[in-house]
This record gives sequence, structure tokens and C-alpha cells, in this order.
Amino acid sequence: MSQPEITVLYFAAASTATGLTEQSVTLPALQYPLSSLSSFLASLHPDVGLDKILQSSQWSVNAEMVDNVEEVTLMGGEEVAIICPVSGG
Amino acid sequence: MTTSYPSTSVEAREEVGRSICVLSYKSLKIDEIIKSVSDDGAGATALFIGTTRNSYQGKVVTRLEYQAYSKLAIKTMTDIIRTAHQSATRSTHYSTPAAVPCIISCAVHHRLGTVPVGEPSIVIAVSSPHRKEAFVACEQILEEVKQRVQIWKREYYEGEKEDEAEWKANSS
Repeated sequence: MSQPEITVLYFAAASTATGLTEQSVTLPALQYPLSSLSSFLASLHPDVGLDKILQSSQWSVNAEMVDNVEEVTLMGGEEVAIICPVSGG
Repeated sequence: MTTSYPSTSVEAREEVGRSICVLSYKSLKIDEIIKSVSDDGAGATALFIGTTRNSYQGKVVTRLEYQAYSKLAIKTMTDIIRTAHQSATRSTHYSTPAAVPCIISCAVHHRLGTVPVGEPSIVIAVSSPHRKEAFVACEQILEEVKQRVQIWKREYYEGEKEDEAEWKANSS
């Protein structure tokens, strides 16, 4: 069975820190909890301050804002975006 | 000065009844936006124009750059417009016949990409039979957009390195 893969979208400060706007990420485990994704992504991009950015950000999964991170399990195929504090207007 | 934008930060538009939400890389055309909400039943049209200011805490701002997660941002914008219509219906004090809506039409246009000083980044127009609902809805929509819509702004200052330009965050 192939490893589950998700697409991670980076915007604003998350994009500046990683130098990416989009990344295919192979999850380390099947049925991966969203709550573990922060530390995993930070480990993929060490020393660029992504951990700090993630602390102040929210998640969206398949273009829906996540209210409770603990309730979401990634199965592979999802589009996950880091939603930094917004600044429209 | 070429800046690359995320491939997910694209133009988008979505209509909700007679109202509309737009994300656009092109200059916002205020006259056309006003016209889009016009109606013979409207006694009032409230208009808000948010413009790039030339200074921030003593620094000279040269331009702003906006990007959006368009697919999600446009959903959030339509949700805000729906809520504005509903709360206007609830809060009305006029004995309006049920068939006459308190807000006739809203248009929310947000610009993406580079916005030079003096140009609008957001335009909100709301038409209503009476002024009060139009003012209230216009302000409510603006505050909700600033709080919730998945749009980000980067501010560039004179004499500072481009790659150190600051991503802003709207205080809640």
C-alpha cells in the first residue's frame, strides 16, 4: 500500500519562510492526526521559523476551516493549507 | 519587479442572489461597482473604499501586495454577505412589508497583487431602501472581511529590503 500523500499550501509568512507556495508531503503514517502535522512540517523546514508561524495559524482542510484540530485525521489526498493571521482590507 | 503569486491565489467571483463577491488582480472600478448595486427601490447606497496609505509608523510605504487562498476566501466572503442580509432583516425597525428586503444588493471587491499607494484595495457597496441599514451592513461586511477572509497583505517600505517586507495581521 502506498504512503498517504497530501498537498500543503503555504501563504504569506509561511510561504516566505519555506520559499514554497505548495508542497506534496508524504505523511509518516496512515490515518495521520492533523494535530501532529505542525511538528512534522516544522521538521521538514527546520530553522526558518515555521514552528512559530504555525503556532499562530489555523488549518484548512479541503478548503474548509478546521474548528477543532483534534477531530481531524488525514487519510491522504487532502489539500491542507496553513492559514496565517489574515490581513485583508 | 516581478513577484510570483501562489497558483491558488487567483481571480474569483461568486454571486449570492443580487449580491456579488469578487477577487481581482485588476484595478477596482468604483463607478461600476456602485452601478452593480443600483436599484430603483434603493434610497441609499453606502460605499466604503479602502486605499493603500503612504505611511505606517513613520515609515514610507511604497506599495502593498495581496494574495488570497481564493477558493476558500470567496466562500468566506459569500458567507459574510449572507449573514449581512440576514442580520439586516432581523434588526430592522421599519414596518417594511415582508416583500421588501432591508438590503437590496451588496458588492464586495478585493484586489489581489500589487496595489500602489493611493489605489483602492477593497470596495464595498451596499444598497438599501434606507440609509441606516446600508451604513450598518457596509461596516459589518468590512469588519468581517478583515477578520475572516483568507487574504494576506504585505507592506513594502522605502529604503528597506524587499525580502524583509512585513506580512501584516489584522488585530482582532
